Amino acid sequence: MPVWRLTLSQWRYQKLNGVIKMVHYIGVILDESRYEQIKGTEIEEKVQSIFGGALKMLVVEVPEDKSNQILKAFDRARIDSRGFIEDVPVAFRRAVFEEIVKNKSLDIVDKVLERLSEIQELAKKEDEYIPPPEIE
Amino acid sequence: MAKLNIPPPHGGELVNRVIEKRDYAESMAAGAIEFDLKPTTLPDGTPIRHVYREIMSVCYGFFSPVEGSMTSTDLEGVLKERRLESGWVFPYPILLDVSEEDIKSTGVKEGDRLLLKLKGQPFAVMDVEEIYKINPEEVATRTFGTPEDNPEVVREPFNEKHPGYMIYKLMNDHVIAGKWTIVNPPKFREPYDRFWLPPAECRTVIKYVKKWRTCIAHQTRNVPHTGHEALMKNAAYTGDIEPCHGILVNAIIGAKRRGDYPNEAILEGHEAVNKYGYIKPSRHMVTFTLWDMRYGNPIESLLHGVIRQNMGCTHHMFGRDHAAVGEYYDKYATQILWSEGIPSFGFEAPPNEVDKGLKIIPQNMAEFWYCPVCGEIAYSESCGHVDQKQKFSGSFLRGMVAEGVMPPKVVMRPEVYKAIVKWWKVFNYPFVNKKYLENLNASLEVDLEPMEVPKA
Ligand SMILES: [Zn+2]
Repeated sequence: MPVWRLTLSQWRYQKLNGVIKMVHYIGVILDESRYEQIKGTEIEEKVQSIFGGALKMLVVEVPEDKSNQILKAFDRARIDSRGFIEDVPVAFRRAVFEEIVKNKSLDIVDKVLERLSEIQELAKKEDEYIPPPEIE
Repeated sequence: MAKLNIPPPHGGELVNRVIEKRDYAESMAAGAIEFDLKPTTLPDGTPIRHVYREIMSVCYGFFSPVEGSMTSTDLEGVLKERRLESGWVFPYPILLDVSEEDIKSTGVKEGDRLLLKLKGQPFAVMDVEEIYKINPEEVATRTFGTPEDNPEVVREPFNEKHPGYMIYKLMNDHVIAGKWTIVNPPKFREPYDRFWLPPAECRTVIKYVKKWRTCIAHQTRNVPHTGHEALMKNAAYTGDIEPCHGILVNAIIGAKRRGDYPNEAILEGHEAVNKYGYIKPSRHMVTFTLWDMRYGNPIESLLHGVIRQNMGCTHHMFGRDHAAVGEYYDKYATQILWSEGIPSFGFEAPPNEVDKGLKIIPQNMAEFWYCPVCGEIAYSESCGHVDQKQKFSGSFLRGMVAEGVMPPKVVMRPEVYKAIVKWWKVFNYPFVNKKYLENLNASLEVDLEPMEVPKA
């Protein structure tokens, strides 16, 4: 069972007893245009459908040492109650998706970490302005 | 079970220390020693608290029976066993802290009357009962507890990463104690003004407009997702001989942190829940309280109980990690307090079962998740498909919002999302950023009319 499916007490028990090595996750939301980009590749099989099919998502596993690197790189990043790395910049999420497409793989954390300084630069601009969506 | 009714205010009587009539206000303020209220700040200058919010909450009765900045006896009672000198339960020190330099420059001494000014205008007066010294770090530590002294629920020592701890640790080391009276009632800006419902008026609205006999409070500092909505709807099934008549959403409005949703979006997001019929307005109402959240989990839950009992609620819902940040407290610390008590904090029994305690009834709730097997938002203690659960996560939703993806309506109502986007367009940003903080810290939530005070 993936760690993020465990209840709190199951997780505590397993962590205390060293049953699990801590793994964190990055969830990549797939809107239609993103879905088109991975359609027909082997990645498509890994797409998870959540909330009754209302949302499609890819889940990238991140070993603990690497998630620590990510938490250090972005001051607001945190691990949420599901074990997902959240509150990261949009630029980071985009880079994760780009590397998935480029490598046709979910094993891309190292590739993303190589781009960390570039992502941090982009993230700075995000602190002041994110264009609002056009909805009426 | 007997039918319930709106409980009396905490301490028996609602505090109301606001003077609207200018003549009386001026005569109270005449000749008083002027003192400009200042925020508590981090070493880099970032405001983390403004005592004006506490003065508002005290004078309008949210914190009844507290009437002002606490005396040293009250403070010791609160730190030792969460009791005022009068014996009534109260969780947090409420203090007007000043520096030694402030004391020297104003020359204030016991027996004097102070005129507290906000944004350059007269705001409130206080008769000084006592001036005493505190050790802010000790106050901070005793306020939240330690793993040694409070082993029931404190898991890690509090430190500079905890925002509430820092509020007390960074206080000035002198306290001016005395009762506050507002002499120039501030005017809330849009949209705060629509949600400002102090306890006296809130009780009247509950009783005569909404006609609720029972009402359950929902604490928030977030834009609601459907997990919150499910919590509200289901927790409201508690009550007496029938489900609670009403749900009172009470947002805590105060110092913000980068990445939070703007206050405006939080209030209008909750309002959208009733405006668009997800919980109809005859059963759901949105209000707020001014308070710089201390993130004190069980301690904070006591304050929430005080506030919402004063506002007229019979029940209060408490979830996991209530008003928590980090892992300082046990995740269920609030629920432990309200189900069995926490002796080291002064509660041999739950706060609503002790002498001079609260009358509001806790409703301790577990969590809600989306279950694809049940095909609905399910209660964790009911749904047996634990390994299929899809948990709601506020930060997951924030990520979606930042990427410009409209959350599916099973997770967030479209009208709630539109409230986020409305204020996103105003601030050019969906969340609190540096600019929002600068604006909020400079202008606060209110404006004050000019007021001339006759000199002595
Ligand atoms: Zn189920």
